[in-house]
Amino acid sequence: MTEAGFVEDVPDVQGPVLGPEARATADRIVAKYPDGRSALLPLLYLVQSEAGWVPRQGMREVAEILGLRTAEVEAVATFYTMVKLHPCGRYVLSVCTNPSCSLLGGRRLFDRAKELLGDASDHGVTDDGVFTLEEEECMAACDKAPVVSVNYLYYDRVGESDLEAMIAAIRAGDVPEAARGGVPGDLKAVSRTLAGIGSLRDSGAVPASPPIADDAANATGAADG
Amino acid sequence: MSGQPVTLTIDGKRLTVPAGTLIIRAAEELGIEIPRFCDHPLLAPVAACRQCYVAIEGQPKLVTSCSTPVADGMAVQTQFTNDDVRDAQSSVLEFLLINHPLDCPVCDRGGECPLQDQALAFGPGESRYVEAKRTYRKPLPLSPLVYLDRERCVLCQRCTRFCDQISGERFIDVLDRGAAEQIGIAAGEEFDSPFSGNTIQICPVGALTASTYRFEARPFDVRSGESVCSHCASGCNVTVQLRRGRVVRNLARDNLDVNDAWLCDKGRFAFSQWDRDDRLTTPLLRVPGLEPVSFEEALSAIAKWASGGPVGFLAGGRLTDEDAFALSKMARVAFGTNHLDHRPAGGGDTPVGVEAAQAAGMPVTYADVESAKAIVVIGLDAEQELPILHLRIRKAARRGAKVFVVHARRTRLHDVAEHVLCRAGEEAQVLAGLWGAPEDSAPGRMAAALREAASDAVVLAGPRLGDSAGAVAWAAAVAAEGEAKFALLCRRAGDRGALRAGVHPSLLPGGRRVDADDRRAHVEVAWGTLLPPSPGLDAAGILRAAADRRLDTLFVIGCDPLRDFPDAALARRALENVEHTVVVDVAAHGMDAFADAMLPAAAPIEQDAHLTDWEGRPQRLHAVRPAPGLARPGWQIFQALAEAAGADLGFDSLASLRGEMARLLPGTDGESSPAAPPGRPEPVIGEADADVTLFSYPLLVDEGRMSNGADVLKRALERPAFVEIHPVDARRLGLTEGATARIRTDAGEVALPVVVTEGVARGSAFVPYNQPGLAANTLLSGRLISGARLEPAETVVAEAGAGASRAASGPEAVG
Amino acid sequence: MAEFEPIVTARWGGPPVVSLDAYAKSGGFQGLRRALAMEPTAVIDEVKASGLRGRGGAGFPTGVKWSFVPQDTGKPVYVVANFDESEPGTFNNRELIERDPFQFLEGLMICAYAVQCHTAFAYCRGEFVWPATIVERAVAELYAGGYLGGRVLDSDFALDIVVHRGAGAYICGEETALLESLEGRRGQPRLRPPFPAVEGLYASPTVINNVETLSFVPHILERGASWFASIGTEKSTGSKVFSVSGKVERPGNYEAPMGTTARELIVERAGGVLDGASVKAWTPGGSSTPLLTADHLDTPMDFDSVAAAGSLLGTGAVIVLDDTDCVVEAVGRFTQFYAHESCGKCTNCREGTWWSSRVLRRIEGGLGREQDLDLLHDIGRHMLFRSFCALADGAVSPIHSSLKYFRDEYEEHVRLGGCPFKAPAPEHMATRPEPPLEPEPVPEPGAGVGSRRVRLEEVLE
Repeated sequence: MTEAGFVEDVPDVQGPVLGPEARATADRIVAKYPDGRSALLPLLYLVQSEAGWVPRQGMREVAEILGLRTAEVEAVATFYTMVKLHPCGRYVLSVCTNPSCSLLGGRRLFDRAKELLGDASDHGVTDDGVFTLEEEECMAACDKAPVVSVNYLYYDRVGESDLEAMIAAIRAGDVPEAARGGVPGDLKAVSRTLAGIGSLRDSGAVPASPPIADDAANATGAADG
Repeated sequence: MSGQPVTLTIDGKRLTVPAGTLIIRAAEELGIEIPRFCDHPLLAPVAACRQCYVAIEGQPKLVTSCSTPVADGMAVQTQFTNDDVRDAQSSVLEFLLINHPLDCPVCDRGGECPLQDQALAFGPGESRYVEAKRTYRKPLPLSPLVYLDRERCVLCQRCTRFCDQISGERFIDVLDRGAAEQIGIAAGEEFDSPFSGNTIQICPVGALTASTYRFEARPFDVRSGESVCSHCASGCNVTVQLRRGRVVRNLARDNLDVNDAWLCDKGRFAFSQWDRDDRLTTPLLRVPGLEPVSFEEALSAIAKWASGGPVGFLAGGRLTDEDAFALSKMARVAFGTNHLDHRPAGGGDTPVGVEAAQAAGMPVTYADVESAKAIVVIGLDAEQELPILHLRIRKAARRGAKVFVVHARRTRLHDVAEHVLCRAGEEAQVLAGLWGAPEDSAPGRMAAALREAASDAVVLAGPRLGDSAGAVAWAAAVAAEGEAKFALLCRRAGDRGALRAGVHPSLLPGGRRVDADDRRAHVEVAWGTLLPPSPGLDAAGILRAAADRRLDTLFVIGCDPLRDFPDAALARRALENVEHTVVVDVAAHGMDAFADAMLPAAAPIEQDAHLTDWEGRPQRLHAVRPAPGLARPGWQIFQALAEAAGADLGFDSLASLRGEMARLLPGTDGESSPAAPPGRPEPVIGEADADVTLFSYPLLVDEGRMSNGADVLKRALERPAFVEIHPVDARRLGLTEGATARIRTDAGEVALPVVVTEGVARGSAFVPYNQPGLAANTLLSGRLISGARLEPAETVVAEAGAGASRAASGPEAVG
Repeated sequence: MAEFEPIVTARWGGPPVVSLDAYAKSGGFQGLRRALAMEPTAVIDEVKASGLRGRGGAGFPTGVKWSFVPQDTGKPVYVVANFDESEPGTFNNRELIERDPFQFLEGLMICAYAVQCHTAFAYCRGEFVWPATIVERAVAELYAGGYLGGRVLDSDFALDIVVHRGAGAYICGEETALLESLEGRRGQPRLRPPFPAVEGLYASPTVINNVETLSFVPHILERGASWFASIGTEKSTGSKVFSVSGKVERPGNYEAPMGTTARELIVERAGGVLDGASVKAWTPGGSSTPLLTADHLDTPMDFDSVAAAGSLLGTGAVIVLDDTDCVVEAVGRFTQFYAHESCGKCTNCREGTWWSSRVLRRIEGGLGREQDLDLLHDIGRHMLFRSFCALADGAVSPIHSSLKYFRDEYEEHVRLGGCPFKAPAPEHMATRPEPPLEPEPVPEPGAGVGSRRVRLEEVLE
């Protein structure tokens, strides 16, 4: 056993995840809060928007920005399910199997998705890099059960054939419009939205202080429908 | 905590405790032990393990006694009087054990495990869990020293809370969540904290184990003795554990006045120095080779040499109080000399009056530090030099104390203290300008904090501040001006005891000045003889005298001049030139090349003695094991040597020695701080052609002989030698991070890898004193500060970075 | 009752009111204007007098909560809106935001004014990518319209609102866990005291309110406390947006006065049970509230009546199971949820949810033993009121209530060695032989951080 043996197979990337521009964005995110540490999750999302997931290198960079130890960042990163700790498909397909959905077919839908996407479940990625499949907890849209989301934009009352069509369309590059919020962007784009950047430009408003508008960014992971 | 008395009953027994007391603590006062895992009296409550449930009459839900304060009239029921409580506690144990491997027979904790003990006492006896258990890969090395077995972990978070609240070294944390929650460390990082071992000791299960103790022993086949750590002047209370006579483990003993419950990793893991192969077990005499002889033979030979002409005594900083006192008296009474010193190079620019004041009483205590509202630390890297004081300063900061550090190098207090990085040697300038400093500058804020805190302020001057011109005097003056308490700190475990005993060319026991007739007379009366009235040579003076053959006999007592004295060349000349060298020590450690006689001393763990910590607090050591062979406590050797020289030290037992010490220590007539504030200090200019001011001090884990054999500790925490310089200087001198710099001083030259950091003052360069690849005293001329020239080295020098590097090798194979 | 006029869902008839203009034109900001003309303490008194109780589950009187905030600490006061809606079966916050975000923000602003807070936060559930974007845009419009910033509506009151997104953790709906999360930490609940009102966000006085609660506030200020108090029951004033889901014809949010019966919600509002089947079990307030049965359908849906019936109003989320649904399977899935969402901090919840989830899976999968029923009950007993926060109490609700009302169904599973509602057993519920003692290597960081969660889910699945 080597001293660091336990980390040998942890996925990671080389070199900085956050370039100069992203670093500048990070500074503005930090400035949003009375205490910079509050920016930890937004910064992890920022890393995810650059890398498509959150490699250890990204955690180290966030730690450095916030003056924390990497373990402190990892402690937070591993707590939350939307921080993707493994390489991810461009589209995270989530199927709710909580009873409100399962009573109306959510469980069957998830099983079908597993058949269709194979290895993409359990945070795997389909061979073409398009999908990661997740069994989701209640998404607070039980009135539209069973609910499926693609990068967290929701599709209502999805049947098995709807699901098959959705998957095929996304594979073909023609992502269907969600029930609300437009066409989901890929995970990087949605992660920008999650980081709190780039979602406000199209309102035409220039906020006085807290929200950040990011000119460099594509407005939102979710284009308006 | 308001402290108003509150009266309550626990299991029907009435007691009164201060308001704010937690129920679990109140119960302890009645001798009622409520089982617990996450609770630790020195950590903030977290109420995570839920083991310590009690019932409060009138409240529908059980409460966790570790997080619930007492209230007036409260009636508490514990597991001894309430079935519901017993049921709850039993269920928690069942929960904790469902995923526990139950591997007590092969677990290091077996036999001293709170989980095991409490499961037996309060657990359900049998588990109803039939599902598969959670399993993890194990053990997971967090560092070469600390191994984690997550299957045994009960997630009490004591370890992570220690790192968060006490050491501030948050290398480990709680990862993931739910049933997968686990303690972990970031990938590719190590638990690189000099306090890591504390997490092992406070782990209430066998989840964290010491690599040095894994599978070594069982609680029932070790012998334990109470002692005091002799690594530094922090004064940590320890339990030393031996198996078959060899030390296998050191544990911290709780003492809230001193070390709380903590111990640094050096104190914990550097325990094999007393079992080293070159222990002296019999007197040796050169005839011409060193041959074993009887004490009688050796002592009479030494007495003959020493009676013939001038002698000098170099004592290390690691003698026990009793040994130091006996030495001080022997030098004066038997050999009529004041040429003795425990300080590596004399006091530098330390006013003897300041030292005298420190020799009497306890000017500052840990408790003073803890309750201080402002703390100013000058010339000290507390984490590296006095680690437990470092923790106490952090504790004070956590309670709201304003902390300032005046030092040439950023310290690990940086997250809780404002640093004034000043060029080494220019501390006095900072202090002299303090009261007039602009309000929005760091010195200005320091001045304001001192003024505001007044007598609730503490000024701590580091042990090497004397090497900086005028600095100690100014530190004392600043303290006096602000009514702050003032301490001149010492680093080594025996330093304060030696100062108090008068192992010092200018001071007699109790800080009485040799050249003050009335004070000397006090000692003369006590000792019944006249004493030499003028100050003797300090360490540097003794070495110079020996080198110049002005001394006949040099006594080297518990020290290694070649390593300890900040002028290696002088030390070597002294040892080579002096007629007779007499070594009194625990082990030979290379001095056999120079010694004409060697006398075997007992190690601290083999003595009934005392060590006085930096506060001035003498603490008792017990003989944990007998000394090997003919080795004996230093005081006995000095007493016998005096006798051989025809003098009578007046004590023939420990009791009579202590009786005399009690009469003379602490001196009631020691001096207070210097009367007049020192004049405005002149800036210290290094040698005219110096590029930078080089400064050095020993890091906690280094090549010092006290760490002999502590290879795993070194692998974990020892860094190879380096030179640190500020980016501005680096640019000026053409040096870059990782490059090799050639460093030249008047004393010598060396090549070292460069670390460029803003954590060192501009114009200064730091080299550690005693790391693999560098003995810094080869660069020094009697002080820990020197002018130096730096330039890029043509070639990488091989020896820099050689030696034990933790990057170089893996831990010992386990399991 | 028939004349009840919707309050917070009043604007739901038409398209979503997501522009400032549209909101103002439809009568918005009257409450805020009125509040700004009042003393802050008078605003608190008004809300107190209305009897409004928190809609997030605990039902604490909102005005009282606000009045706990000390104004003399020298620290800033914070208000945090809890939009981390995640209680299974609950979806009214999401729709309130999607359809009428300014109503909520107006309530948040009034609350901020009342407690003299100058920086408020909207903590949005991470998965609510779109709803949170709506909030962000609305906030931006408020800034542009002079409703936020240095001078709110030209008054001396200054207010900033920061929109913060979570990242997937049910526990962050618990208010102290939410604060931890907002501070950039693991969402694990804090010890109380100190209570958030005294030491909350950044150790400063903090008010945390649910979106639905805040949505009522503008109306109370606009129309008066007594108007609000006249609706609903004496101790549960006003109306509530009930989320009805599961086996009903028209799942959805239905605003009704407090005290409306479950039967009315399920049968009249949601169109009755799907395909004409009959109600077997239902939750009154999400999966964390004890299941009730067809016998309880006439229970008035207010805090006290539901409690009297042996359950809790919770979030007012009614999940309906019909007589073809397997209670054991549903409870198993609920329990899997709690095991997945347990934060791990305290022993009872961490181990109890894990253990009971596995026992339930074993029973549903056909490997149940007779003694497992008592064991399950006992595990629940050891979690209930003995855990750090209410998550475990919630986890026990479906277990204990199902054992109480549907013990025969469990016994049937044990007797048959499988689920009586499935023939043959579907693939997803394991009927594959699963020797209980076969080691199942679980969270193994050895293979990397990410795999920890994967493995846990494997086991809990």
